[in-house]
Amino acid sequence: MKTVSADSLTPVSSRFGWSDLLTRLGPLIGLLFVLVLFSVLEPQKFLRLNNFELILRQTAVVGTAALGMTLIIISGGIDLSVGSAIALYTVVIALLLKIGIPSFGAATGGILVAALCGCLIGLLITRLKLAPFIITLGMWGSLRGTAKGLADNSMVYPPVTFLNELLRPVSPDHIWLLTPGAWMMLLLAVLVAAMLRYTRFGRHIFAVGSNEQTARLCGINVEWTKLRIYMLAAALAGVAGLLQFSYLTMGDPTTATGMELDIIAAVVIGGASLSGGQGSILGSLVGALIMTIVSNGCTKMELDNWVQEIVTGGIIILAVTLDRLRHRRTA
Amino acid sequence: MRKLALVLVCVGTVVGLFSCGKKEPSGPKKLTIAVIPKGTTHVFWKSVEAGAKKAGTELDVNIIWKGPLKESDRADQIKLVEQFVAEGVDGIVLAPLDFEALARPVQSAMERNIPVVVFDSALRGEPGKDFISFVATNNRKGGQMAGEQLAKLLNDKGKVVLLRYAVGSASTEEREAGFLEVMKKKSGITMLVENRYGGATVGEAKNESMKLIDQLKEADGVFCPNESSTLGMLGALRDNDLAGKIIFVGFDATPPLVDALRQGHIKALVAQDPTRMGHEGVQTIVSHLKGQSVPPVVDTGVRLVTPESLNDPEMKRFLGQE
Repeated sequence: MKTVSADSLTPVSSRFGWSDLLTRLGPLIGLLFVLVLFSVLEPQKFLRLNNFELILRQTAVVGTAALGMTLIIISGGIDLSVGSAIALYTVVIALLLKIGIPSFGAATGGILVAALCGCLIGLLITRLKLAPFIITLGMWGSLRGTAKGLADNSMVYPPVTFLNELLRPVSPDHIWLLTPGAWMMLLLAVLVAAMLRYTRFGRHIFAVGSNEQTARLCGINVEWTKLRIYMLAAALAGVAGLLQFSYLTMGDPTTATGMELDIIAAVVIGGASLSGGQGSILGSLVGALIMTIVSNGCTKMELDNWVQEIVTGGIIILAVTLDRLRHRRTA
Repeated sequence: MRKLALVLVCVGTVVGLFSCGKKEPSGPKKLTIAVIPKGTTHVFWKSVEAGAKKAGTELDVNIIWKGPLKESDRADQIKLVEQFVAEGVDGIVLAPLDFEALARPVQSAMERNIPVVVFDSALRGEPGKDFISFVATNNRKGGQMAGEQLAKLLNDKGKVVLLRYAVGSASTEEREAGFLEVMKKKSGITMLVENRYGGATVGEAKNESMKLIDQLKEADGVFCPNESSTLGMLGALRDNDLAGKIIFVGFDATPPLVDALRQGHIKALVAQDPTRMGHEGVQTIVSHLKGQSVPPVVDTGVRLVTPESLNDPEMKRFLGQE
C-alpha cells in the first residue's frame, strides 16, 4: 500500500486510545447501530418485548455453534463442516429417539457423536498436517452425506418428547422466562468465556493461534491442544444440533445448509481475526445477535429477499472492514 | 481518513438499500396478511404471488409476500411464521415446506388468535380445526391425470422412469402416488425407476437425471412431479439427445416447459392454477377474518395441457398468461 494517510502520522499515544476503545466496543457499537437503525425505521413492529424474545430464541442455534467456532478461529483454524455436522446431529438424535432411547439419553448420544466427529477432525488435522480449511471442506461433504445416509435419504420423524420444548415459544405473559434453549446458550457462553480466560487450556488456545512456533517452543503440546479444541467445539456444535432438532421437531439431513457461513460471520463480526490469536465469546454472541436482528428487521420492513441478502452481505463487509481498520491502527 | 470515508460509503449504501427496498407504508386499519410460499425464485411462485397480490388489491388488504431466504429451508420457514406471529399480522397464508415441521409454529399462531390458511401442500392436522382451511390442487388427481395420459401415449405398454421431487413434500408425494397408482394398474407397463429423488432445485434434478442416464436410454416414458424436476430432467434429456425420443410427461406449465411442449420435447403437462391458488388463499383468510364461514378444503383445479390444447383460450389462465 502506497497510501500514507494523515492519521498514520499522528502520535502513537492518541492512536492507541482510539484503537483500544474500538477493539473493546467494536461489536457492541455494531449491535447498537442495527438496533437503533431498525428501531427508527420500524418502531411499532420492531420495538416489542416479544420480538426481542424471538430474536434471542432464533439466535440460539447459531450462537451456541459460534461459541465453538470462536475457539477454533482463535486457534488459527476454521471449521467449514459445522452446518453439515448440525444436520447430522439432528438426524442422530431423531434416530435414537425413534429406537426408543429416552430423551435425555438421545440428547447425550447426539453430543457424544458430535465429540467423536470433532475428535476425527482434530486427528485428521494434526496427523495429516493439512490446513483445517481442507480437512473441514472434505468433512463438509462427508458429514452431509453421512446424515443423508443415516436418515435413509429422508426425514426422520421421532416421537414427541420434551426435547421438542427446548426452543418452544414462551407464553406471552412470562416473556422474561425465556425459552430453555436461550438459557442453554447463555450458560454455555459464560462457561466457555471463563474457560478461555482463567484456565491454562484457554491461554494455550490464544498462544497456538498467535504463533504456533513460539507456542511449541514454550513447551505447549500444540497437537493435543488442537485436538481438544476441535472436540470441544464439536460438542458445542452438538448442543447447537440438539437445539436445531428441537426447533424442527425432527431430524432433517438437509437442514442448516450454509449455516457454517452464518456462524463464521458471527464470530468475525464479533471481532475475531481469521489469522488467529484474537476473538471473544461476548463478541461472537453479539455477532450472532446482529445477524438475527438484521434478518428479523429486514422481514419487519417487508424487504424483498434479494435486498435482504445484499444488506446482510454489506453488513458483514462493513463489520470486517472495521476489524481491519482496528488492526491497521494497532500494527 | 480515507478508510473512514470508505466505511461511511458502506454505511450509506446499506441505509440507501433499506430506503429503496422499503415498501409504501400501509394505511390505518387495513388487514395485513402474510403470505409465505415455499420459495421465491420458481416461476410457479411468481404466479401465486400475482394471484395473492391481485386478491389483496380487490379485497383492499395489505399483502406481505415473504419466502424463506434459503429456498426450501424448513428452519427458515419456521422462523418466518414465528416472526409474523410475534409481529401480530391479522392472518397467515402458508405453503408448508414440511408436513410435520411446520405444524407446531402453525399451532402456536392459532393459539395466539392468528388464523392460518394452508395452501399448496398439506400440513399435519385437520383443516377447519387445526388451521382454517386447506387450499390446494387435488394433487392425487393431477398425478392420476399424468399417469393416464402417459399410458395412453405409450399404448399401455413400455418401461417408465419416475423422478421424484423431494422428501417430505406432501403435494408432490401425492402426485407421485397418484401416478404410480395408474401405472400399477396397467399390466403392460413396468417401472424402471421409482425411488430416486431429484431434490429441491433444477440443478440437483438435472444431476440426478444424468445419473439415471442408462435407465433413461432404455425407457419409453418419463414422469416428473413438479416444475424443477421436470426442468432438470428436460435439461438432461436434451444434453443426451434423448429429448423428443422419450414420451415425457411433466407437471406445472411454466414458460420454459410450455416451450418444450411446443418443440415436442415434452408430450404433456399437468397444469395447476397457481394464480387461482394465491387468490383463493388470500380470499379464504379474508372471508374468515370478516366472520364468514369458509370450507375446510378448497380445490383449485388441474388441467391437462397437450400440444393440441395449447391454443385453447381457456388454457391461458393455467399457463400464467393472464
